[in-house]
Amino acid sequence: MSEQWLEIRDTSVDAEVVRRRVRERVSLRHHESSWAAQIDPGPEDVVDSLREGMFDSAAKEPVAVEQQDCDIIPRDYTIDWRVPILGPIHALIRRVINAEVRRYLMPALERQSYLNREFLHTLNDLREENDRLRRRIEELQGDHQESPGP
Amino acid sequence: MNVHQFHPQVAFGDAASNQVLILQKLLRSLGHVSEVFCEQQPFVFEGKTHPLADYERYTSPDNVLLLHYTIHYSESVMSWLRRIPDRKVLIYHNITPHHFFAGVNAPLAEAAQRGRRQLGLLREICDAGWGVSAFNSRELEEHGWSNLGVMPIVFDPERYDVRPSRSVMGAYGDERTNVLFVGRMAPNKRIEDLIVCYSYLKRHVRPDARLLLVGAHGGMGRYVAFLERLVEELDLEDVIMPGHVSHAELMAYYRCADCYLSMSEHEGFGVPFLEAMHFGVPIVAYEAAAVPETLGDSGLLVREKAYPAIAELIGLLIEDKDLRGRITCGQSTRLRDFLPARAKERLRTLLSDVEAR
Repeated sequence: MSEQWLEIRDTSVDAEVVRRRVRERVSLRHHESSWAAQIDPGPEDVVDSLREGMFDSAAKEPVAVEQQDCDIIPRDYTIDWRVPILGPIHALIRRVINAEVRRYLMPALERQSYLNREFLHTLNDLREENDRLRRRIEELQGDHQESPGP
Repeated sequence: MNVHQFHPQVAFGDAASNQVLILQKLLRSLGHVSEVFCEQQPFVFEGKTHPLADYERYTSPDNVLLLHYTIHYSESVMSWLRRIPDRKVLIYHNITPHHFFAGVNAPLAEAAQRGRRQLGLLREICDAGWGVSAFNSRELEEHGWSNLGVMPIVFDPERYDVRPSRSVMGAYGDERTNVLFVGRMAPNKRIEDLIVCYSYLKRHVRPDARLLLVGAHGGMGRYVAFLERLVEELDLEDVIMPGHVSHAELMAYYRCADCYLSMSEHEGFGVPFLEAMHFGVPIVAYEAAAVPETLGDSGLLVREKAYPAIAELIGLLIEDKDLRGRITCGQSTRLRDFLPARAKERLRTLLSDVEAR
């Protein structure tokens, strides 16, 4: 713990006095020894070991590919142009073109998006499997080192 | 000048949604026509907000549209924003960095990543960006934004003029020491560090202590399971995690609290600090992100997570009434900076800057 571990900006409080009083209390309570040494394992160690077990180390890596990126369909896109003099005819032509383009394009895009999503799932499964195997190798290496030689 | 606001989802009890409603009051009191538009609207806000589709009737290049940004916008919102001619100001509430959610909530980690990337696209659409803290504005600057300002969260004391829940007061409003934290049970809040700190407090300093961890658990199942396991492993009693609570219950938790403790490592502002100030609860907080800025010259900031010392500091705060009084008095002074009267002036200045451009 450094001397400046506690910051008190409030000028009505003497920060140095508070820091000194806390230091005294810590020393008094522990007969000038650290608390962590009295508890084995210390609470901080318990946090670390639990965290390791619960949150997959591989998952700490940034998410490389997002589910949303798999979807390549421009869902909001419509062919649009504005020629006000054509009125209803213009609207009808636009509707027909949009419908036709979608009829050809959408099934292909849907299929590709589906493949992308499947690919991402497989990739994630493989990553998890890889990590599990890596951990197993580390365990086996540890056992090997601990076991007495022939 | 009409100054409207957009927030994707106005929700009850959410800090950004509360800010939207308070800003609407302030904007109207400044003489602006001001409506709120959202993509998803719970029934309790019917009449107070409009669905996004209605904006077609309001859009104008003379308008200023305040866009509240907390995580990310959908593609349809982005294309709507590109289409409308209104002057746009992003109000940046900050996005928790995605790495905090890794291994806990993958969709949220994805959304956080996407949201941060979207800041670059929004820069091209918006005329200005206002952080709810200078910390947030600096982050916009790092993303290449210019025309920046700071519009802090407005604290409306009227919202807290509510009778506290009797059941919570009955359960925890006794002579025992209550250490409070309010916020979503999320990894960036470092709830595990609060628990470690509490374990020293409970075992060595204040055996009568309770730890009240008040906040929603939604989407954080793995993290909450980790916290519950930690409490079990440390064999700790009196760690209370009630999940999402009503407004009346929240009032009661603040009234029962002897100390507000935060070990959070990422806060874009920290509304619970203002609430603790309002209820006269002394604050001990880890110095990270926007926390020092929100506290200003008040409260107690710890620069290192020296748990035994923090536990002793809490003990000292509870025993030394003079020290406690000085700290809470400083906090009350700080709270004035966030009251509607000051916010109104700040808002007027920021809007005149936008208008002058």
